[in-house]
Amino acid sequence: MIETLIFQGLTGLSQGMFLWLISSGLTLVFGILGVLNFAQGSFYMLGAFVGYSVLKFTGNFWLATLFAPVIVGIFAFFLERFLLKPAYKLDESYQLLLTFGFALVLENLAKLIWGSGYIASPRVPGLNGFVMLFNRPFPTYYIFIIAMGFLTVAVLWYFLKFTWPGRILRAASTNQEMAAALGVNVSMLYSLVFGLGAILSALGGILATPITVTSSGVGDTIIIKAFLVIVIGGLGSLKGAFVASLIVGLIESYGVIFMPFFEMAMIYIIVIFILLFKPSGLFPENV
Amino acid sequence: MKKFNRRSFVKAGLAGSAAVLFGGLTGKKSEAKTLKNPIKIAHQAVLSGNFATYGKFHEMGARLAVEEINANGGILGSKIEYTMKDATLKPAVAVRNARYFVEEWGADMIMGIDSSGQALAVGKIMPQLNKPLIVTHAATSQLNENLVFKEGIKQIFRVSVPTYQDGISAAFVASKLPIKRWATISPSYTFGRVSWKAFKETLKKLRPDVEFVSESWAHFGTVDFSSHISKVMSSNAEGFFTTEWAGELISLINQGQKFGLFKKFKEVLLSLGGAMDVVEALGKNYPEGVWISCRYWYEYPPTNVNGSFVERFYKRWKRYPHYVSETSYSAIYAYKAAVEKAKSVKTEDVIKALEGLTFVTPAGRRWIRKEDHQAVYEVPWGRVAHTDKPPYVTLKNSIMVWPAEVYYPHPPFKENDYPPYYNNK
Repeated sequence: MIETLIFQGLTGLSQGMFLWLISSGLTLVFGILGVLNFAQGSFYMLGAFVGYSVLKFTGNFWLATLFAPVIVGIFAFFLERFLLKPAYKLDESYQLLLTFGFALVLENLAKLIWGSGYIASPRVPGLNGFVMLFNRPFPTYYIFIIAMGFLTVAVLWYFLKFTWPGRILRAASTNQEMAAALGVNVSMLYSLVFGLGAILSALGGILATPITVTSSGVGDTIIIKAFLVIVIGGLGSLKGAFVASLIVGLIESYGVIFMPFFEMAMIYIIVIFILLFKPSGLFPENV
Repeated sequence: MKKFNRRSFVKAGLAGSAAVLFGGLTGKKSEAKTLKNPIKIAHQAVLSGNFATYGKFHEMGARLAVEEINANGGILGSKIEYTMKDATLKPAVAVRNARYFVEEWGADMIMGIDSSGQALAVGKIMPQLNKPLIVTHAATSQLNENLVFKEGIKQIFRVSVPTYQDGISAAFVASKLPIKRWATISPSYTFGRVSWKAFKETLKKLRPDVEFVSESWAHFGTVDFSSHISKVMSSNAEGFFTTEWAGELISLINQGQKFGLFKKFKEVLLSLGGAMDVVEALGKNYPEGVWISCRYWYEYPPTNVNGSFVERFYKRWKRYPHYVSETSYSAIYAYKAAVEKAKSVKTEDVIKALEGLTFVTPAGRRWIRKEDHQAVYEVPWGRVAHTDKPPYVTLKNSIMVWPAEVYYPHPPFKENDYPPYYNNK
């Protein structure tokens, strides 16, 4: 029994890490820009597809993991600059509709470029095996995913706490007007944050390719859960997104053994309780 | 396999109308002036989201049929006009499409539909629309058993196999395997539950010594199966059965490989593992030795009709036919055969002509059962082996197939009445 619990815990952690990668982008963009970005799932999907193309071109999964998020990040940077920026003058609901439009366009664009079929999953050199835990195999790739999750947390934390751009970012998230008055180029900052959010989600997308399936609709499924995560964690809170990702991942995983049929409902029940009793989420704070 | 009685099947088939052979033999010019020109066929399937590849495969099969028929003189001289719409997987959208097709676009026949919920919703309004509906994918047995047989909605037909294939025929394969303890990761919606139940009940009849030791239920849209895999692997099961399909099955296989699932279980049955979207995505990474089936497999039956269909399909689209391509293709030819037999496109005439129709299709001979309008035909099971050429998967050396009459439940469809209807011992 105890080893089953540990196994479920590990699989729950790895699921949580994927959620973290996409919801961190979502919550970061919301925290700074105040935009609830429906297209965040599309960046996840684009990360997987662009990664697939880079992999085909270079034959190297690690290069794909490196370049795909950067390419998607640059794309998102320009998307924000030229298409989202003009909508800031308008009501928030227009921004929501616009990002929803992005999601639809990007899904169909992906279908035009990469086709409507499923893309074959790559095999990752060096991480195809497993380690034995309690005489049962546990895949090394999942351990790698869990490690990557913690690594991104550490990198983001360091970036926000100890680097100059990180401090500017936090300053801008607390008080934009003051930051602007002090000479921060808020417009550029917005574009960069939007790009950074896309990088995180795209990283999730490419890292998921070896274990899941890639199709143009893959963003739809993941974005809904990411929204649940940031509602639980607190809109705009990175710490909240991380904790809530792990909570959701673990509930799903343990739910499979303790509450079959009910594990998704469990997550929605938590969301309902959060909305009723702590509408600001577990960690109501700024980025 | 010889011990199964084929006689009833053949007799029933012959009792239907004469077989219509197609694939080059069509194209009779007609004198009938009463037929309308063009004959309009409307198709709907999922073209967006995670399952978009299904709609695309549907369309490829249907377009091929339309192009061939039109190039050979149409249906009794009338050309076919074809249209296709995205049905998503929502019942409301499918109903809206069906209404649009018939009431605005002027369809003579409508076809397609992937999800069972959609098929039941559209099926319910068919008496109002009063045009033939030929379902090419949605598999719920409620469609033929309840809507057609019990409620008498005669406009509904289905050329693809019902869930009988997924659960019952799988149990026939399982009964031949030298293992006793089974586990599943199944879709937590009706399709998955019904199939697992049919698998269990049938297998228990065939092999009273088997046990079912672990079940895990994955909700629709599951991306990560690792916790389900981890759960069933902690059991002492020797065999694994699943009706997961499309992208979710691919994820399950990918993750299963990482967790050593295909090493732990001695036998693995994937009822929808033979779908071309799965085969294309996995190719040479498809674990060898697992049993797969679907609703049509490109290598079966090894007839000229099928061989030439696969060739023409490949030439036209540079891909191998998915089962929904074959069923869409055959739906249009079934309609053609019925119109030619009835010499009419009137709904009542076409329905009468389709009932009991036997026709030769790439998937072999299909016979449309009069009572429930379900096409009866065989789909094989086989063990995955690799080849050097696309699609890199062959079942040629391990095909296992039973006459559909043996594993299809028969009217009057009693509750929980699973085949076989005889004692196998």
